[in-house]
Amino acid sequence: MSSKCIVYGYMFLNVKMSSLLKRALFNNSQSIRKTAALFCNATRNHWNYQYQPGPYPKTPEERAAAAKKYGMTVEEYTPYPEDMGYGDYPKLPDIGEDSKDPHYPYDNPELKRNFNEPLHATAEIFGGDRCDISIRRRFSLLHQWTWFLGTLGGFALLMVFLEDYKIGRPVTAKQIPGQGVHYLFSPN
Amino acid sequence: MGQIMGTYNTRHINLQSNEQPTFPPDVGFCFKRGQRKMIAREQDLISARIPVKYRDYCAHLLLDYNVCRYKHMPLLYRCAHERHAYLNCEQQDYVLRMKEFERERRLRERELRIKNSVHPCPY
Repeated sequence: MSSKCIVYGYMFLNVKMSSLLKRALFNNSQSIRKTAALFCNATRNHWNYQYQPGPYPKTPEERAAAAKKYGMTVEEYTPYPEDMGYGDYPKLPDIGEDSKDPHYPYDNPELKRNFNEPLHATAEIFGGDRCDISIRRRFSLLHQWTWFLGTLGGFALLMVFLEDYKIGRPVTAKQIPGQGVHYLFSPN
Repeated sequence: MGQIMGTYNTRHINLQSNEQPTFPPDVGFCFKRGQRKMIAREQDLISARIPVKYRDYCAHLLLDYNVCRYKHMPLLYRCAHERHAYLNCEQQDYVLRMKEFERERRLRERELRIKNSVHPCPY
């Protein structure tokens, strides 16, 4: 699957887009799926059987073994609840990459990660250019909600309470030829 | 300042902007009022593809102006006369609406005066 994606990637570079799309869409029955792969992650569509976490640890020995596997101490190792389906993968604190110390000499500075450090289960959204729910907000959530609801609510209250105080231009409705008879202010 | 204050002074008689007149059209006139005539034909307006909101009583002048524009494009300064005629017609239409508003306002004020001049019943 990944080799096909690489092939399609090269084809995209060498061939014009429209003819590629036409070929992709009309030639075979799985064309839609492959075309979608071209626009989605064409380079990381592989799965290694060793990536699969082990079963949920039930006994203390299993917990110790799982903690050792992930390079954590037994005290700081907590798996996700069993019904979430993560197996024995540890529940790491939700710290995004942006809030990690930029001056520490990481082994892998691009990911702000040391060798053999366990990755967060949802590390793909905690990346340095993506979400970070642990940053210190410039304005607290209460501040944000107050201003938002206050502005909208203020305008709504204005509309409700000033409904009877509207003013407009001193004209009657626009006179449209098909709708009703209209008169002049003179005999002709 | 009337265009800003507008209906500020007519709140006591409940007169708002863009309302239909409520009194019969001949009340207060000693003569019979003339009717407004639609000069452009419906089929001409349709074939010229004039948007519906511009098909009012001045549409015949708009048709002339569009014809002039088409003939003289891109020298549009040559259509100043037709444009002036159309805009004057639109202004007269607006003045007519203002007159209707004023008539409506005076009739309502008169109605209010009549109602208030009757002595309130003491019993």
